[in-house]
Amino acid sequence: MKILLIEDESSLRESIITYFTDEGNICETAVDYKSAIEKVNIYNYDCILLDLTLPGGDGMEILRGIKKIKKKDGVLIISARHSLDDKLDGLNLGADDYLVKPFHLSELKARVTAIVRRKSYDGSNIITFNEIHIDTQAMSVKIGDNALTLTRKEYDLLVYFIANHSKVITKSAIAEHLWGDEMDLSDHFDFIYTHIKNLRKKLIEAGCKDYIKSMYGVGYKFENI
Amino acid sequence: MKLAAKYNRVTLIASIIVLIFTGVIYYAVIHYILTGQLDRDLAIEEDEITAYVKTYGKLPQAGSFKEQKVSYSLIEANRNVERRYFNNDYFNESEQKVEPGRSLIYTVQVNGKRHSVTVTKSRVESEDLVRIIFLITLSVTILLLITLLLINRFILNNIWKPFYGILLQMKAFNLADKNDIRIESTKIDEFTELNAAVITMSLRVKQDYRELKSFTDNASHEMMTPLAVINSKLDTLIQTETFSDSQGELIEDIYVAVGKLSRLNQSLLMLAKIENNLIGDQETIELDNLIRQKTRQFQELLQLHNINLKTELANKQINMNKHLADMLINNLLSNAIRHNYKDGEISIQLNDSQLIVSNTSSDTALIADKVFERFYKNAASEGMGLGLAISNQICNLYHFKLNYAYQNLRHFFTVSF
Repeated sequence: MKILLIEDESSLRESIITYFTDEGNICETAVDYKSAIEKVNIYNYDCILLDLTLPGGDGMEILRGIKKIKKKDGVLIISARHSLDDKLDGLNLGADDYLVKPFHLSELKARVTAIVRRKSYDGSNIITFNEIHIDTQAMSVKIGDNALTLTRKEYDLLVYFIANHSKVITKSAIAEHLWGDEMDLSDHFDFIYTHIKNLRKKLIEAGCKDYIKSMYGVGYKFENI
Repeated sequence: MKLAAKYNRVTLIASIIVLIFTGVIYYAVIHYILTGQLDRDLAIEEDEITAYVKTYGKLPQAGSFKEQKVSYSLIEANRNVERRYFNNDYFNESEQKVEPGRSLIYTVQVNGKRHSVTVTKSRVESEDLVRIIFLITLSVTILLLITLLLINRFILNNIWKPFYGILLQMKAFNLADKNDIRIESTKIDEFTELNAAVITMSLRVKQDYRELKSFTDNASHEMMTPLAVINSKLDTLIQTETFSDSQGELIEDIYVAVGKLSRLNQSLLMLAKIENNLIGDQETIELDNLIRQKTRQFQELLQLHNINLKTELANKQINMNKHLADMLINNLLSNAIRHNYKDGEISIQLNDSQLIVSNTSSDTALIADKVFERFYKNAASEGMGLGLAISNQICNLYHFKLNYAYQNLRHFFTVSF
């Protein structure tokens, strides 16, 4: 997928590019309002990651510009402004999602993947990873031809893993994804272990390979074997 | 003591002292003048008698007529009678009674014999005059005093009205409030000055407060970007190499700390936002449904600690921001779980006027007037100490009342709508 990252903080930009640039993803960047407007007007992207506070202008204006010329690019706002109004404004203006800084790269990847999937396949809602097929519309999972019954959390976890396959995902990222960021999550680390154990068991029983690996106690990795 | 009462008391005491003092002087002066008048009349009488003696060579007839009495007596040659005025009582023959009188005694030489002459005039009239003048003056003064008191009571109260107005406003003054102090105009200079001073002060205080708040706001915002960088660098770091488990543990600790820091920051921002009244979008919320939904979310935690949850939920609708309602219930519930012990109990009661969340806990009673302060927390608590402060702010925003109580080894948090 082709991504435009509009972000003025260079360290953050680098991390995001590193995380996204593999398996044929193309990641372009814009560091200020002016260059962002230029790139948005000339090229098409699957998803635009848009920071709201930019040197030279307000990110919201870029969003307005994109919608004005009726571009189909997905837009994900990444902002330090944890304000409901901004969130609502952004979504009302046609942004597809809103992520508040600081965020986990794995969460960003999962959200971008979801946006791109919705945008590019137009109605097709199937995620495939080797023998795993997920219908995001019906929220059903099949291993080969075997239907698999998962709880809501196990399902979310599987989709999250596949969006971030071959990456180490931390427990805090998983906790935040499953339970939201409002509660203190250290309590939830035990549950993550339980949920992953159950998911793994179900997958293997249904004939799936064991893709989930625990990584140095920090998190997990979903990796093709 | 009220200013008017104090003022009245002082004026009253001063007036009475002055009144008594002047009364005494007044009485003495009038008395002196009238006695002088009597003495002059007596002197005229003396002159007449002397003239009579000179002309006729004998004393006029002694006797009493009208308010005057003349009497003579022979005195021996060696005795000396001094000419003097004096007060005495005498028998008024026309009135047939003893009356106070003023007398003049002197000597007169008739045919070589010395006679003492006593002329007496009645003092009754002048005494009466003194009394009447004194009474009139007294009653006028008392009338004046009463009028003064009444004026004080009614007019003063009226004059002080702007003062009480501004006092009321100052009592109701709230830093976080958006409305400024409004002043009723007054023609009295002192109050105009006071009003101006109060308005200037309130504006300056509000300005300082705003600056402080915007500082907190900006500081928290500015911290978000470095936090985002730390988080993303950590995410990138763990993709690079293989780590040992002990290194993994270190990284996890950093993650947890960064997570805490960003939640703390978000809480501070949220507090600032609620205080600034920047929360809009009220909607009708089925509170009982929201609580059911939240308890489902907390199900895993409850099971983990084997906490028994008792709910008693009546249907209740409230008007508030969805996100804040979420946050309020979240905070109350997660506190009840966090500060509970294994196999403990949580009870949630909701009726039309109150939401009561109570939990068993090994913690002893919290300090009731500090519990809603920022960063107040139990030494053993892992939380940030902002949850209850935020909950309290949310309640304040919607004019609910959040109360804490400790009874029968249970902590009670009550929201009164």
